[in-house]
Amino acid sequence: MIPEIPRSLPLQLNGLRKSYGATVAVAGTTLDVEPGTMTVILGAAGAGKTTTLKMIAGLETPDAGQVILAGHDLTAAEPRARNVAMIFDNLALYPDRSGFDNIAYPLKLARRAAPEIEERVRRIAVLLKIPHVLGRLPKTMSGGEKQRVALARALVREPTVFLLDEPLSSLDAMLRIELRAELRRLQREQGHTFVLATPDFQEALAVADRIVMLRAGRVVQIAAPQDLYDAPADIETARFVGAPQINLVDAEWTGGALILAGQSLAPGAFRAPPAPCAFTAGIRPEHLTPCAAGQGDFDATVSDLEPLGHLVAVTVTLSAGTELRLTAPAAGAAGFGIGTTLGIAVGRAGLLAFDPADGRLIPPAA
Amino acid sequence: MGPKSLTLAQRLILLVALTVTMFPIFWIVMTALKPPTDWNAAPAVWLPSEPTLVNFATLFDPDAIKAYGLSGVSQPATPAILGSILASVSATALSIAIGLASAIGLSRYAKMTKWTPLMILSGRMFPPAAIAVPFVIMFSATRLIDTYAGLIAIYVAVTLPFSTWMLKSFVDDLPREIEQAAMLDGRSRLMAHVTVTIPLIKGGLFATTMFIFILNWSEFMFALVLSYSNISTIPVQLAKYVTATAGTLYGVQAALAVVAMIPLIVAGYAIQSHLARGMTFGAIKR
Repeated sequence: MIPEIPRSLPLQLNGLRKSYGATVAVAGTTLDVEPGTMTVILGAAGAGKTTTLKMIAGLETPDAGQVILAGHDLTAAEPRARNVAMIFDNLALYPDRSGFDNIAYPLKLARRAAPEIEERVRRIAVLLKIPHVLGRLPKTMSGGEKQRVALARALVREPTVFLLDEPLSSLDAMLRIELRAELRRLQREQGHTFVLATPDFQEALAVADRIVMLRAGRVVQIAAPQDLYDAPADIETARFVGAPQINLVDAEWTGGALILAGQSLAPGAFRAPPAPCAFTAGIRPEHLTPCAAGQGDFDATVSDLEPLGHLVAVTVTLSAGTELRLTAPAAGAAGFGIGTTLGIAVGRAGLLAFDPADGRLIPPAA
Repeated sequence: MGPKSLTLAQRLILLVALTVTMFPIFWIVMTALKPPTDWNAAPAVWLPSEPTLVNFATLFDPDAIKAYGLSGVSQPATPAILGSILASVSATALSIAIGLASAIGLSRYAKMTKWTPLMILSGRMFPPAAIAVPFVIMFSATRLIDTYAGLIAIYVAVTLPFSTWMLKSFVDDLPREIEQAAMLDGRSRLMAHVTVTIPLIKGGLFATTMFIFILNWSEFMFALVLSYSNISTIPVQLAKYVTATAGTLYGVQAALAVVAMIPLIVAGYAIQSHLARGMTFGAIKR
């Protein structure tokens, strides 16, 4: 009988570690990347995102662990032997070469015929809307154009994996949103495998198939974007993902009643912890709904209003002194002013329970 | 700040500075063109009374000066000029080649401690006289004394800390991602440095080469103590233009000094456009 050959994944990381002196940059990352997907490594500055990508590319040598590309253990291979493309956060265009020569460089090194190089560079330039910069040096290009040239230089090859290290961080907000949508569309249409590192949770939520949450070199959670948002592994992740930030309130589950900020509430749809306990309740701003005073779970006084366009971020203070932030549709918030007393209804289904000792999410009883 | 934005006071200060800097060069060129009677005339003769090229002729024909009634000098300057070219060009090329490799290694691959700069640069903390004598003894034992190989070895040893450190600063300024991009695009590590790193620090490379060449070209002490009869360099030859009857031959010395200046001026002019930094502007975000 012929054994079935397992289809190899484009990228697998196995216990990857790297320290710089006493500083642990990456503390044992294990990760499988499915073909044709966008994996986002999300983390604050210094979380180990760039180090992880550079180890995949072969630009940093791991202390331990394996980098497996398309089924081959290439942990010790030279960068050029890995067939990996990387877009650096500073783009790293060749400053002395034109847009065309920047994009053509990997093809020239692969000794492709001149007509083929010409054809592929032109095609990718049209795809990325940059035919007009092919004859220009990087220093004459705008930020967005440089970004696209860097992208084109990666896309012109057919690498196993694309590594993108904060590729949009140099752009202004509008362009960043436009380009990230384009990046996502390209990745989907061409079926490429992308690994993108970013400190921006909104970018991560917007483009990822899967998010790897990294903190101080450790993988905290690997989840689909909505799962990361709805069920963050711990308080820090909950705070990192979402704006305005999640509200954290002291709470207790007695087994029958939910005590929130000193007030006993009917549990309703609350997915309670398996056993009675004190916990830190995480409540996303959108799970707090303003209503007429006396009609909600709490009465609260509006202490600040921050228009966000279609929403208003409202900061309220409970009688016990606890501050909460909630978001309400701008149209419905016309009646609020600072000092107004409101009722606040707590959406039980969105309530998260975190262990106050270690900050980890307490999984609800089955 | 463009030249037009200089105030009158700033222009005057620059003019004074320029005069102070340029005066010795003016004086040496004038002296090189003076006949022996003008050399140390009192009061000083500013412009040659009868401009002559006899001083230059004496460099290549030791008897030429006899036309002015002075005894000739013992030897032509030609071997010294050739010796200077040989020693300075070879030593500079070696120092830059080794320094460039060290600079890239230190900048990109070495774990530097706080003592690394000291270890590299400490050789320069000693006065040359302090290391000249040990070198003479070592070179006597190894038969390197009075050879160009020995002189070149010393020049490389003395200038290598400078070339390494200067070139390292230029490599440090270049984002490593540019050469890493080349490695991912298909270059080997070595070829990524050769084809990407080095061309991008061309300006710094030229400036460092020029600096090291000047050091070697004008070096006097090692050349003096390590040369007997087989080798010579221009600075050593300059010191030899002293005769028993006429004292120091200032005009001939000046002529050799002018000859020695020419390659530096030509080289400086040729690479001046490369001396400005700015090759990497626009390639990276900052």
